[in-house]
Amino acid sequence: MLNYTLRRLMFSIPVLLFISFIIFLILDLAPSDPTGNLPLTIPPEVREKIRESLGLGQPMPVRYYKWCVQFFVNEPLNIWDQYWGTCSFGCEDRLRVVSYVTRSPVVDLIVQRMPQTLWVVGMSYVVGILIAIPIGVISAYKQYSWFDQTGTFVSMVGFSVPPFFSGVLVIIIFSVQLGWFPSIYDTTLKVVSWDTFMLQVRQMVMPVMVLALQTTAQISRFMRASMLDNLNQDYVRTARAKGMKESVVLLVHVLRNSLIPVITVIALGIPAVFGGAIITEQVFKVNGIGQLLIIGIQGGDAPLVQTLTFIFAVMIVMANLVADIMYGILDPRIRYD
Amino acid sequence: MLDDTAKNKLIEVHDLKMHFPIYAGIFRSHVGDVKAVDGVSFDIFEGETLGLVGESGCGKSTCGRAVLRLYDITGGSVKINGQEIGETPQNELRKMRPAMQMVFQDPQASLNPRMTVEGIIGEPLDEHTKLNRKEKLAKVHELMDAVGLNRTFSNRYPHEFSGGQRQRIGIARALALNPKFIVCDEPIAALDVSIQAQVVNLLEDLQERFGLTYLFISHDLSMVRHIADRVAVMYLGKIAEVAPRDALYADPLHPYTKALLSAVPEPDPDLTTEDRVILQGDVPSPTNPPKGCNFCTRCPSVMEICRQSDPEFREVLPGRFVACHHFNENTNAT
Amino acid sequence: MKMKTILLGAAAAVALSACAARAERGADGHLNIIYWQAASILNPFLSGGTKDTEAASMVIEPLARYDEKGNMVPYLVDEIPTVANGGISEDLTTITWKLSPGILWSDGTPFTSADVVFTAEYCMHPEGGCQQETKFSGVTNVEALDDLTVKITFDSPKPFPYGPFVGVESPIIQAAQFANCIGADAPNCTAENFGPFGTGPFRVTEFKANDVVSYEANPNYRDPAKPAFATVTFKGGGDAASAARAVLETGEFDYAWNLQIDPTILTQMAAGGKGEVVSSFGTSVERLMVNLSNPSADLGDKRSTLEGGPHPFLTDPIVRTALSTAIDRNLLAEVGYGAAGKPTCNVLPAPAIYASTANDACLVQDIAAANAMLDGAGWARGSDGIRAKDGVRLSILYQTSTNAVRQDTQALVKQWWGEIGVETELKNIDAAVFFGGDQSSPDTYQKLFADIEMYTNNFAGTDPEAYMNSWTCGDIPTPANNWLGSNMPRYCNPEYDALAAQMGQTSALDDRAALAKAMNDLLMQEGAMIPLIHRGDVSAHSNTLQGVLMNSRDSELWNIADWSR
Repeated sequence: MLNYTLRRLMFSIPVLLFISFIIFLILDLAPSDPTGNLPLTIPPEVREKIRESLGLGQPMPVRYYKWCVQFFVNEPLNIWDQYWGTCSFGCEDRLRVVSYVTRSPVVDLIVQRMPQTLWVVGMSYVVGILIAIPIGVISAYKQYSWFDQTGTFVSMVGFSVPPFFSGVLVIIIFSVQLGWFPSIYDTTLKVVSWDTFMLQVRQMVMPVMVLALQTTAQISRFMRASMLDNLNQDYVRTARAKGMKESVVLLVHVLRNSLIPVITVIALGIPAVFGGAIITEQVFKVNGIGQLLIIGIQGGDAPLVQTLTFIFAVMIVMANLVADIMYGILDPRIRYD
Repeated sequence: MLDDTAKNKLIEVHDLKMHFPIYAGIFRSHVGDVKAVDGVSFDIFEGETLGLVGESGCGKSTCGRAVLRLYDITGGSVKINGQEIGETPQNELRKMRPAMQMVFQDPQASLNPRMTVEGIIGEPLDEHTKLNRKEKLAKVHELMDAVGLNRTFSNRYPHEFSGGQRQRIGIARALALNPKFIVCDEPIAALDVSIQAQVVNLLEDLQERFGLTYLFISHDLSMVRHIADRVAVMYLGKIAEVAPRDALYADPLHPYTKALLSAVPEPDPDLTTEDRVILQGDVPSPTNPPKGCNFCTRCPSVMEICRQSDPEFREVLPGRFVACHHFNENTNAT
Repeated sequence: MKMKTILLGAAAAVALSACAARAERGADGHLNIIYWQAASILNPFLSGGTKDTEAASMVIEPLARYDEKGNMVPYLVDEIPTVANGGISEDLTTITWKLSPGILWSDGTPFTSADVVFTAEYCMHPEGGCQQETKFSGVTNVEALDDLTVKITFDSPKPFPYGPFVGVESPIIQAAQFANCIGADAPNCTAENFGPFGTGPFRVTEFKANDVVSYEANPNYRDPAKPAFATVTFKGGGDAASAARAVLETGEFDYAWNLQIDPTILTQMAAGGKGEVVSSFGTSVERLMVNLSNPSADLGDKRSTLEGGPHPFLTDPIVRTALSTAIDRNLLAEVGYGAAGKPTCNVLPAPAIYASTANDACLVQDIAAANAMLDGAGWARGSDGIRAKDGVRLSILYQTSTNAVRQDTQALVKQWWGEIGVETELKNIDAAVFFGGDQSSPDTYQKLFADIEMYTNNFAGTDPEAYMNSWTCGDIPTPANNWLGSNMPRYCNPEYDALAAQMGQTSALDDRAALAKAMNDLLMQEGAMIPLIHRGDVSAHSNTLQGVLMNSRDSELWNIADWSR
């Protein structure tokens, strides 16, 4: 298993380098301009100077090489120095990946966005899974019952209703009409007391629910299908013949086997959590990673978009590896060597 | 052995019915039933082995599972040790499970792939006994010894074993709660021929050691001849004939039994019989069985009455039961 | 009588005490502002975006601002220098500002002329990429005569020398704080760019780029009674509709900026009674730019240049007048803009002293007159209903950026032009490409490879000189100048250029106004462009918020020190 993991990790290095180059190439070919969003009152000559000051005058390979050095060498060194409070290899004039628009290090921006993204999107993922698994189990156990039919309907709704619709709908119902929850997420809120904790919960309820609806729809379908596969297996009959309680049969035998494929699906979905939920973050003004990405795209902020997209690529490659390894751990029949 | 315990009936099955509903259409309305088991009656005496034979799809396995109430049966009565379990809810039935166990056909699929051998064998002990961990492990090892498995393998998973070993795990698992009655549902069908004999011998040994009663379901007539004391022949959800083994093999009464036995390959070419009965046509659908005797569509000696009414299942000779109109008119006619 | 006096006195006392209670810094607690485009940086020299300059305007201030009527108001000085008071030299080449004494930065250090001089150096550094560089155009020297006197020298006479250090885009930053951030180092000063020290009513406590800015009252602000709010949250993100909802429907926020949404929806939201929609008009005009050069693709490199020859039919003044007359500007304003737009016939509709009334005939749509004009000029309808003369069909390619309101406008205009026998092909281009500077793209608004294009432009502040200079012969975009130029119609008229030159020599406001009007009228009558809508800015504030004075010529938050609850 260890050898397998190490080998996979080694293979992922050229893959990721290749991905980073492709991302850079695509961004370079895209007709977006960091000065395109500036007011028309700024004349073209000044725009040209701005572009030059951003380093856009240099040829593409030079810019790619600079990004690689900044991201793969300087940023890790910077993390090292910040952690240990040291200053190694000339930390004074070390160039970091800097956003065109905010003129601040991209990695710092991402770190700043992490809390709200993990709280809201991560929580919605957890909530979605916690709701989805029981629904999937009951739907499969009582196949074609009214519960199952309702679950199918809700899943269909969850799949097909986009968050820019459901998000605005819940805002109109719960913020405008009922006034229960704030429609705008306050990222400056610090949880220090019970009251602030409740505020945090209240502002998380709507975005978490809107996102969880989608997760629930997806995972509950997987869970149901996987449960149905296992419910008709002989070992389930064996367990019943042993005289095990129905709850033990269902939860220990069927559920544990059914969870194997579902857990890999869950693991593969984790990069999406870090990637943020672009539309939902925008609707509720959560301003996490997803919103950072969309603003970067709109503003032609190539270093930001490049770095974020590349981090997503790393996450996806890692999640695939984790999913494979988890499969190996969970299912004793699968062994890697 | 048979004589000693002769008249002590452990299992009494009467008019057992197991129908599976068929739903179709947009609203999944009930359009019919698969009559997998349709009025089956037989008894099993304590300590004996009843072989249940028949071609594929005749309802043997369903019958075995229905007897153990792994299904909620459609009708009829099942008594074990004189106690009626036909209507008992599953939850109460659980407490009686230790007495009746089952060995399944596919040793791979019937073992939970995520549990170790120790877990598989030991799990029912958690449920039905109050043994502590140590005692439980001792019991597991004891059972593994009994079925001839190396006890150091107790932490392995089922997929790490061969087919024969897996079936031994399945048997050990069935034995864990000291059952009286075990339904062996084609326990050797999925195994290599070389292994089949080992497993059958193991079953016989265990029967002797623990005084077990078997319902041995198989389509392998020679294997049934080897292990069974009495044999029941099933056709399309019904019992065609029940008889002591030797009598049945020597002198089958029901036309279907005759056809079935004549299909058994004869190793001695000299003894090849010219009067081999070849059945024409296919088994009718259990959803829509023929009117009258359900064998009437294929019976070589079919009579007019066979198409009109269902023959009664009755004792025509001492210990020999058959369902055929030939024996209704004249008990001695053959 | 006596009783009445007492009652009046009591009432006055109550009113006074209420005032007194209010007139205390931070008494009104917290203020929530939402700008649906989030602030990226608080250094306006590194970002020209309105959201950034306005977020910064609460902290850093220019020497003088424009009020909501366009008048210059002294902020960090006691009076505006003029020729009359000797602040501007007779030859119009220098301006001398006298700073108010006793002003402190938010860190407690005194505000001096050194800071002003430093700010000029910072923005004029050739490697700094300063986005407000045009504010300093023509400046040769900025010197501190003493601690509180700054003299700015220009390379030539400047009739309107209020570019540097006036208005939201040209505030003063602290020399001590930005000393190491000059030139190429400017972008590396993240902490400084995210939290500049200022002289304004608030100071930054926390800055989350592209998300939210937290401010608190500046303890060293020059007016000890202001600001009324102790803390401010400046939240970004979402879209205009949700920002409007947060103020007008849920009441979570007190002020929302730039609510360019469907006017009927905005009216519905405002009907809830929680807040009020306010608008103001600057100089933005949505206009059709008429290509006077030939955009035919057959011309190759000479496409849409004067060398390529004149436009086959748009050079006919009658056609241009007919096109303008056929448009119902009132309907366009009503459908697309609501409170944020009014019809106009001038490219220079404001400030009031510059606004001409000579062209107002175009405010009334007259399809019949337009048809008569074209008939009279010999443009006869063909069998397909499209007019033609000498083999030239009136067929127009009409392009603009992708935007719901613009596409509605395009559709309406196409219909009206159809009624006068003009065929129109519509095209819309993504804004990032249309307004972007990609030399390789054929779709930029500067190349104008079409007959007519539509967009909005404006000028900051109140002085139109630079803006009106856009339509001189020298400012035509051509391949030779990399298409950098703002004279999109390729309008070249020596008479116009002469007026522009004359304006550069004139300093009296009335004379300048007369010249600007004349230039505007020339452009309108020659039909170089067809103005449609004078566009305003729409914001909303909660009913509990007082003191908001919408301002399109400076930051909308220009007087935030006076806001109260």
